[in-house]
Amino acid sequence: MAKLKLALYWAAACGGCDVAVLDINEKILDVANLADIVFWPIALDFKYHHVEAMPDKSIDVCLFNGAIRSSEQEHIAKMLRAKSKVLVSFGSCACFGGIPALANFTTRAEIMERVYIEAPSNENPNKTLPQTKVSVPEGELTLPELFDNVLTLAQVVPAEYFVPGCPPTVDLILKVVNALATNSLPPVGAIIASEKTLCDECDRKKENKKITRIYRTQEIIPDPERCLLEQGLLCMGPATRGGCGALCVKVNIPCRGCFGPPPGVADQGAKLVSAIASIYETNGKQDIEKMVNEVVDPAGTFYRFGMSISMLKRKIPQKR
Amino acid sequence: MKKITIDPITRLEGHGKIDIFLDDAGDVANAYLQIPELRGFEKFCEGRPVEELPRIVPRICGV
Repeated sequence: MAKLKLALYWAAACGGCDVAVLDINEKILDVANLADIVFWPIALDFKYHHVEAMPDKSIDVCLFNGAIRSSEQEHIAKMLRAKSKVLVSFGSCACFGGIPALANFTTRAEIMERVYIEAPSNENPNKTLPQTKVSVPEGELTLPELFDNVLTLAQVVPAEYFVPGCPPTVDLILKVVNALATNSLPPVGAIIASEKTLCDECDRKKENKKITRIYRTQEIIPDPERCLLEQGLLCMGPATRGGCGALCVKVNIPCRGCFGPPPGVADQGAKLVSAIASIYETNGKQDIEKMVNEVVDPAGTFYRFGMSISMLKRKIPQKR
Repeated sequence: MKKITIDPITRLEGHGKIDIFLDDAGDVANAYLQIPELRGFEKFCEGRPVEELPRIVPRICGV
């Protein structure tokens, strides 16, 4: 079999997805046997113009991580879509918006103001902000336009497969590598993870106990055997797709939902609200108000990794 | 003035490009490093519970 051509790219991302690919350790040698890497900014020195020069559909597989929040990222997403036979939405940012999509609770203008003017480490008396074009004595410099809205990859271009996780786990990455090696890719649109919820793969004991209080993580030391939600900790398990191996809950930390909504769930946050409502002991309006007040940052917790695909979508920018 | 653009700069964490301007003799007149990316942690971490920040800010850089 001829070697595959493989590309990897990061848009609005942290590089953790790229490093996760290296976390497959010696199996990376299998990848090297299987594929020639034709683009991978973190590791190899290919430029955008090299990709631009490639014929359409000449890349067999592109693993694309990161959200789309600038005109450059949108451009590269469209370019890699055109050049790739198979485009994989890789990691939570590409699939759901991820942590960068927390920016959808604010606006571009507020981000610019905070980062370049208000931040205490700045010295910017003229309140200069980044511009898409700027003239310098030698010529012109350009920067991409920052979008008001953080998008997923599939909100910009169609993708064949989705690999969730912040970052995707080694097991899931190997699943992708093996599918490529044996030419046994799943049906287009497949999400490479579990078809069940995180709770289904969590070993903790569920006792169907009601709770009377929601705790912040520093307020209690949870019993390592019992369901975290039933101990009053906000755990996104019931509203999250499984497939990670319950990594966080195994170390006594509640899930934050990085695998996105499970099958059949349209909105991750609404699902968790429903799960909490069903176990919180309430006898009237007072208790409901108490429950609501105990959740310190509902939107930022329930949509920690999923603002781009949520019902909320984003904060509406104020017209000036 | 001739401009050489290196985009993206590679084998590091993050996004960057370099524009190098050459004068008529072909010597470097000036060079600019630009960072074409911003996510806005400085803003969107505001209002998040303090105990959650150790789970948010590692995503500034995962390398």
